[in-house]
Amino acid sequence: MKNTITKTNQNLTFAQKALKFLQNNSVPLMFVLICIVCIPISGFSASYLLNEVVTRMGRNIFLILCLLIPIIAGMGLNFGMTLGAMAGEIALILVADWQVWGIPGVVLAMILSIPFSLLLGAFCGKILNMSKGREMITSYIISYFINGIYQLVVLYMMGKVIPIKHTSLKLPRGYGIRNTTSLLNMRQCLDNLIDVQIGGVKIPVLTFIIIALLCAFIVWFRKTKLGQDMRAVGQDMQVARDAGINVEKTRIISIVMSTVLAGFGMVIYLQNMGNISTYSSHSQIGMFCIAALLVGGASVDRASIGNVFLGVILFHTMFIVAPSAGAHITGDSMIGEYFRVFVSYGVITLALVMYETKKRKMKSSVGEQLQREQEEGDGKNEN
Amino acid sequence: MKTKVLLFRAGTILILIAIAAVMLVIGRGHTVYFENSEATFDGQTFKGPYKVTVYVDGEQVAKLYDGERGMATCIGQTFKMEMKIMNEKGGDEQFVAVTMPLPRDMDGILINLPTLLAGQPEAAYLSEFIIAEPEPETETTAADEFGLTTEF
Repeated sequence: MKNTITKTNQNLTFAQKALKFLQNNSVPLMFVLICIVCIPISGFSASYLLNEVVTRMGRNIFLILCLLIPIIAGMGLNFGMTLGAMAGEIALILVADWQVWGIPGVVLAMILSIPFSLLLGAFCGKILNMSKGREMITSYIISYFINGIYQLVVLYMMGKVIPIKHTSLKLPRGYGIRNTTSLLNMRQCLDNLIDVQIGGVKIPVLTFIIIALLCAFIVWFRKTKLGQDMRAVGQDMQVARDAGINVEKTRIISIVMSTVLAGFGMVIYLQNMGNISTYSSHSQIGMFCIAALLVGGASVDRASIGNVFLGVILFHTMFIVAPSAGAHITGDSMIGEYFRVFVSYGVITLALVMYETKKRKMKSSVGEQLQREQEEGDGKNEN
Repeated sequence: MKTKVLLFRAGTILILIAIAAVMLVIGRGHTVYFENSEATFDGQTFKGPYKVTVYVDGEQVAKLYDGERGMATCIGQTFKMEMKIMNEKGGDEQFVAVTMPLPRDMDGILINLPTLLAGQPEAAYLSEFIIAEPEPETETTAADEFGLTTEF
């Protein structure tokens, strides 16, 4: 079968190849076009744009990389990464109350987020095992469910059950955390520890080293026994089970790993921002990370580290230039704001529709191929 | 095999707990306030110099004349500062470096410079600085906060 497909690809004309390339990369190409049009209109200087893009790369890439592991395991785009983000936020609130600042604060928050992420990830993995084939929508709804519990903990239990000492963190009524938690004392500590200025562009070297380490880990992990098991599970669960792989356990591990990494990613993200929007920081994070990954050319069943980098660059360039470009075109910057939100949701929808269409096309072409082979076989038998 | 895995897991957890404990100690943040004002201890009165310039990590954080206060932040349990002291207006400046341990349980620490410079014990120059509780304000809770409020 594989030979037939390769042969068919070789027989394609240049025009057909170009069309196929366009079809396969329509989302990134669309964003390249949007950026090409919007950048000159926005009026931003090259150094400003570069600075913003580099800052956002440092801020977001770690979070987006955590989406790759569930994709390897065939569980699609993990909307449940929000759970890890919540774990990271709870850890940061506690660390802020304990007055642990700077790099030690970041490290402590990361360590503290692990048990929360482990619990939430295991819970999410178990539920996803009960809803095989509908992982994405299930993880999306789980994130809403856990958001309710998060609010219960942060809004009612913190200060009452969970000791919170500082009044600057608590709501005036004496319990519950304020809408904004300040992380001023650890703001950009990771980014500023080792940074280099190149042509007016600040490069947070340490953050990029951490990202590089995670990339190396993912590359290494794919080659390990567990990584290979995940790939096998992702390709065909039944075959993997027959090969002696504990499918359910492997899937849970992939979600747990993703959730723990999302917790770390959220800590990196928030130390860059310098404050936590206590009740809303996590709510959009899953959506934007997934949108960025899809913009980079990833799909529900295939994503690479390259997709993450390309996606962050394109998606965030659009995010930076859209409000200003919108203001220049329409005279109202809110149009640009709406545009970038609309594009985020739109790109996810488009990617999902394209994935389904491709899957159906593939299924029908395989069916046709089988039918043809059967007919050929019948003809030979008749002769 | 199972014991090996169990030992590895227990070891990892212990290492993480140890790192967390170290971070708790070395990352404890304090806000240190210094005041250059007259103070009395044990019946003795200590008058402040004309001007004190305070440096922390080589950076000037405060220039204090009589009765003035300044502040700096410190991560960890040891606070180091350098002071340039001018006792009289237009007089010579004297350079003094001070290293002191900070109490772990205090967020805000007030250091009285005249008593510190007079070589008095810790009880004389160090006290807790407690920020006055803010007036209760009405703050809207998370009810309708789930729009796109975060800068991304």
